[in-house]
Amino acid sequence: MKNHHLSAVRVTAPPDVPHPTPAARAIELDHVSRSFSSSEGELLALRDIALEVREGEFLAILGPSGCGKSTLLQIMAGLMPASSGQARLHGRPVDGPPEGMVYLFQQYAKSLLPWRSVAANVALAFEGDARYSRAQVRERAGQYLALVGLTGFEKHYPWQLSGGMQQRVAIARALAANPRVLLLDEPFSAVDALTRVELQTLILDLWRRHGLTVVLVTHDVDEAVFLSDRIAILSRRPTTVEEVIDTGIAHPRDAIATREHPRFLALRHALMERLLQRGGHA
Amino acid sequence: MSRRTAMARWLPGAASVLLVLAAWEAAVRAGAVNPALLPAPSVVLSTLGGVLRAGEVFGPLRQTLQLMAAGYAIACVLGIALGIVMGRSEAGYRLFEPLVELVRPIPKPALIPPLFLFLGIGVKTMLFIVVLAAFFPVLINTVQGVRGIDPVLLNTARTFRLGRAAVVFKVVLPAALPMIAIGMRVSLAIALTLVIVAEMLAGENGVGFLILDMQRAFRIQHMYAWLVVLAAVGVALNAAFEWVERRLLPWRGRQ
Amino acid sequence: MHGTTTSIGLRRLLQGMSGIALVLALLALWEASARLGWVESRNWPPFTQVLLALWDGLRSGELLRLVASTVGFMLVGYAAGSAAGIALGLLLGLSPLAQRFASPLVETLRPIPIAAVVPPLILFLGVGDALKIFTVAFSTFFPVLLNTIAGVRDGSEVLRQTARTLRLSRAATLRKIVLPGALPAIFAGLRTSLGIALVVVIVAEMVAGASGVGHFIVQSQYAMQPAPMYAAVACLSLVGYALNRLVLVLERSALPWHGAS
Repeated sequence: MKNHHLSAVRVTAPPDVPHPTPAARAIELDHVSRSFSSSEGELLALRDIALEVREGEFLAILGPSGCGKSTLLQIMAGLMPASSGQARLHGRPVDGPPEGMVYLFQQYAKSLLPWRSVAANVALAFEGDARYSRAQVRERAGQYLALVGLTGFEKHYPWQLSGGMQQRVAIARALAANPRVLLLDEPFSAVDALTRVELQTLILDLWRRHGLTVVLVTHDVDEAVFLSDRIAILSRRPTTVEEVIDTGIAHPRDAIATREHPRFLALRHALMERLLQRGGHA
Repeated sequence: MSRRTAMARWLPGAASVLLVLAAWEAAVRAGAVNPALLPAPSVVLSTLGGVLRAGEVFGPLRQTLQLMAAGYAIACVLGIALGIVMGRSEAGYRLFEPLVELVRPIPKPALIPPLFLFLGIGVKTMLFIVVLAAFFPVLINTVQGVRGIDPVLLNTARTFRLGRAAVVFKVVLPAALPMIAIGMRVSLAIALTLVIVAEMLAGENGVGFLILDMQRAFRIQHMYAWLVVLAAVGVALNAAFEWVERRLLPWRGRQ
Repeated sequence: MHGTTTSIGLRRLLQGMSGIALVLALLALWEASARLGWVESRNWPPFTQVLLALWDGLRSGELLRLVASTVGFMLVGYAAGSAAGIALGLLLGLSPLAQRFASPLVETLRPIPIAAVVPPLILFLGVGDALKIFTVAFSTFFPVLLNTIAGVRDGSEVLRQTARTLRLSRAATLRKIVLPGALPAIFAGLRTSLGIALVVVIVAEMVAGASGVGHFIVQSQYAMQPAPMYAAVACLSLVGYALNRLVLVLERSALPWHGAS
């Protein structure tokens, strides 16, 4: 990874949030359920989810397709209301996208505004803030693009970039909103394997440098084990949290070496076995 | 692209136009066509030249274009505004939909005589009619465009906590713009048509009035000359619209 | 936003009613403004008077006769213009060279407002039925032509290649793949044209006709008879609405595989 000069970009915690203590709760899902009305009646997608995300950790949510992982994340993000129960961020109930938290979409290509350049897309995250003049907005956008390795592409348009690069723009834009919490919805499922590894390394790097709390939803066991501190395993519908395990792998992690680490292999084995025994992991 | 391929593009078209004009000219000269009904292109062009040289073009042309431009602009603003309201708000949509569906099928030219009778014959009434007619395609297309916006874009705006006005101007409007542009294009043609009809029915000047007037006065060559002017206006407006569209919507069709 | 199924249904019902309430409120306003003399014009009849005139006109058969005549000529012109548009559209859609020949001619004639085409046509066809038919055909032709060309062109390339691998003849490819593939676009053009056709026949009748609803409306204006005029307009709207629905029904039966467009 390139050397980034982060002194120009400072991440400061919002003043009214207490300084995080170890194992403090960043996010809490308190008996969250979600059902959908359809022509066939009520469909219970999430049942009584109880989950907590610790401050500064990297949590993966792992589960088979269709089990409502995205729904869970969107409730956390305040993009969707829970049918019952409550989601809380730093102790405060979430009833709309809260400050300090950004959600990254699975279809990142569709989340980039096609009529704006890459830099202007990044600027969307903070240009409404009256603190920044036009020139400062441009400069700041450039800094965040540099963070994800896209210097020189400021004036490009999303359609001119590859999938991996588009995802980087989305990541840069999310960071530019200065969040403390990042929610990623299967962010790397649509790129090729090599790009995926690069982006995973990027995310880990950014997580460490900026002291973020990250929740990543995925169906990829490798990805979950490689990236996270803890993994929440979801059941099939109606979805509950079956178990939360510690990965127990030390940081910093390496794209190749960590994947050959005995602990990684053992955990991966156990998880695959468990998920496949469920009768099909799509 | 090479010059040869560029030429291959426009040469057939240009050739066919010239062919038609030449055939037309020949037919009149040979006496196959009655020049009193359909003068030769050369005659029409020279009549047009005379009108242009005498400076008689500008008055009527300006009258017609001003009326059209004013009606079109107002219709677009109103159509887009209401379209956004109806597209974003289910309650708003249900409130206005019956009214829209009631007025929309009315053939707007049929409203010209009633409105003339009721509001009087004049520029204000004509403006009202143009706005009424040009309003609907813009409205319908705006609603469709707004409703068709990818939810991911709207949710992106939400996760970045954009304010209501910011959501509309930074996300909704640009995203719906390709669809809105289609409506605006249709409305442009409608606006021009309705101005011409209104002028014919009760105008005292303007291109539409002149065309009909010249026919009634049996000044056929002048009638065709003004028809050429109108055709040129139509082509020019179309080209201008496409040019603007290409520059404002460069991302269209590239997602 | 989330609620039980019944509360959502109730909200939808109320919202739908609000729309109708708006229309009724405006009609009431119309009626009141005319009866209470808020509007100082002799030519602003109350809504109920318009309804009465509509009823009278329908009962005496006069309105129906006028509308039938107008719509009849409109349909003839519509059929002619559509047929020509589809035929030429298929040709131009399949042959890009032919399209390049025809394009400037089409693009010069198309933007001419239809009303302006009427005076020259009066010279050739006189003020009568032939004029109406030709005017409608002329304006129907262009949308159908363009949509047909687009339908032929944008037909799925994959389907066309499939035809090639199956070694279908040109005629078979046209019949089995190109034409059905172009049908949705063609129908879109036909629908657009139908709406235009009704407007155009009215315009032709208003500017140069001696018969039909358009002419009747203009005559009513000269005779300062607002009520029958509005009644005729109301009748026209009903016709327009009915025609629209008819096309939708026909389209759905002809294109059952085509998803909601």
